[in-house]
Amino acid sequence: MLKGHQSWVFENRPMITATGVTGGPFEANGRLANDFDLLYEDLWMGKESYEKAHRLLLEDAIKVTLQKGNIQKEQVQFLFAGDLINQITPTSFAARTMQIPYFGLFGACSTSMEGLALSSFVVNYQGAKYVLTGASSHNAAVEKQFRYPTEYGGQKPPTAQWTITGAGIALVEPNDPEKENPVTTSATIGKVIDMGLTDPFNMGGAMAPAAADTIIAHFRDMQLEPSYYDLIVTGDLGRVGHDTAFELLNKSGLNLERKQFQDCGLLMYKEDQPVQAGGSGAGCSATVLYGHLLNEMKKGTYKRMLVVATGALLSPLSFQQNESIPCIAHAVAIEMNGEKG
Amino acid sequence: MINIYRWLIGTCLLLLAACNHNQPVKDSSLALMKTTNPSPIMTNQKKDSDGVEEIRKEVSSLPEIYDVAVVKGKQDTLVVYKVKHLHRFKMKKIEKQVNKMLEAKHPKENFTVSSDYKIFLESVRLNEHIKSSKFSQQKAENRFKEIVKMTEDLK
Amino acid sequence: MASKQKNMTPQQQNYQTLQQKHELKRPVLKNCIKAFFVGGLICMIGQAVSYFYIYFFNFTEQSVGNPTVATMVFFSMILTGFGVYDRLGQFAGAGSAVPVTGFGNAVISAAIEHRTEGFVLGVGGNMFKLAGSVILFGVFSAFVVALIKTLLVMWGVL
Repeated sequence: MLKGHQSWVFENRPMITATGVTGGPFEANGRLANDFDLLYEDLWMGKESYEKAHRLLLEDAIKVTLQKGNIQKEQVQFLFAGDLINQITPTSFAARTMQIPYFGLFGACSTSMEGLALSSFVVNYQGAKYVLTGASSHNAAVEKQFRYPTEYGGQKPPTAQWTITGAGIALVEPNDPEKENPVTTSATIGKVIDMGLTDPFNMGGAMAPAAADTIIAHFRDMQLEPSYYDLIVTGDLGRVGHDTAFELLNKSGLNLERKQFQDCGLLMYKEDQPVQAGGSGAGCSATVLYGHLLNEMKKGTYKRMLVVATGALLSPLSFQQNESIPCIAHAVAIEMNGEKG
Repeated sequence: MINIYRWLIGTCLLLLAACNHNQPVKDSSLALMKTTNPSPIMTNQKKDSDGVEEIRKEVSSLPEIYDVAVVKGKQDTLVVYKVKHLHRFKMKKIEKQVNKMLEAKHPKENFTVSSDYKIFLESVRLNEHIKSSKFSQQKAENRFKEIVKMTEDLK
Repeated sequence: MASKQKNMTPQQQNYQTLQQKHELKRPVLKNCIKAFFVGGLICMIGQAVSYFYIYFFNFTEQSVGNPTVATMVFFSMILTGFGVYDRLGQFAGAGSAVPVTGFGNAVISAAIEHRTEGFVLGVGGNMFKLAGSVILFGVFSAFVVALIKTLLVMWGVL
């Protein structure tokens, strides 16, 4: 049901029953290694190209999800997913392997929440019984497309971010009151914000206003106070964007506490890993949310959280032509089943 | 990161170790790194070597120049010198100057002037060979011609 | 920068000043020092290589450049292949990019990257993706300088 200007409320509280999270070698050394279902020892993952490895990440995440959800792939109605590679081929090719009816999404790094919002909407209105949604990215494949070759010895500035290697997939199905699972309660779809930043090595700074805009819109539409959520987590703003977004929000009159406001890109890696300002990529919010954060939620650390995935909608061509970087953010609210308003 | 340091340190050690063999060090093996100042020599040792000593002194007197090697063959005289580091920008000018000076003072001689390290090194080597009488006069003359030819390739 | 700012709305300008406050600054001085030493070290190795060629082969000071450059590029290609050079690059910045080893790295990294697209369109077509502009502008500026010198000599200035 539409509420306010740009938000949906899911009265039937669609449920995330199972998740599958895969990652690469760099993530295996990270802070959240234990929250991954499957970790690869090397970036090639036994494939001949990084793009094929990228596809494998996603296929494996889907397989793990199906296994944990204890269903067959034939039972799944739809797959909502996307990635960052040209024409989202890794996701489309994985959908070919899986033979699940498929919506290919592109929202850059906001794809994960775009997918979760859409699949919750579809499930909420009995459009499907089982929906898979998620996003993935592969460091080498993405760097190859957007930046320099992997082995090129260019110096990255401290505002640059590290594209994570990983895929996160969630199985969304109608609410079952018997089960203790996270449910989605509302979503806010963001609009494209462009603050005129042009530096592709400072995505966090470009994306922060989009995140702030969507969060402000969410609280306005839902008529809630920030204290309603235990945790407001952004997708991949990194150190720069996260601080900036925090200041923007506080200036706008929303009183957030520092502890309550986290960032997936900062949660992912240890301090000593050379990731500059933090992790990024479509897989970043997907793996951290579907792995670490939902696990914490099941443990009871968080009861309600708002996940805001941000995406920079640039292409290598657009920034070479000196276009600024337009950005978008989508928010989905997740609660534990049974925790009524 | 640590790996890179290991690499670098390893490489440095290797380089150092390579330089450190326990033989009596010949002048020619360090000719490029320190001042050798070899005594001037002629391929024909029987002749009087006063002339070449004089040439050496004249060239050495230029303030930009240190370390001069002079080798005199049958027809040509090879003069090789090192230029002080800060004056290396003016190499061409110095070469002209040396040429002019020598031609003026010894109009009969035919000079080949060079500041190339390789020529210097080969001159020192030739010098050593002649002194240790490893080379016969004919052989020395041939080697000398080869070196002179090498300088011509430079131009 | 100034002309860019004119085209922006006041809102964008406000945000950019706010954002700049949080932007992590490049440690310029530290980077310069690191670049100086690593670059110097690379050049020292290059000097050692050229002495090696002078001592043991028939190269003069002027002709030794070619084999030395080839050897240094070869070294950097091996280091690139082993995945060391990009980490060195992150540490040293310009120190490892400006010497000829950086050129070798740019060529070979692109070649490795596009190996999966085949030899002709992948390796062949993309090898000089980064280094191509170096070659183009290097040759062009050499041409311009040579032209100027020729003209000066013709007019008798030099």
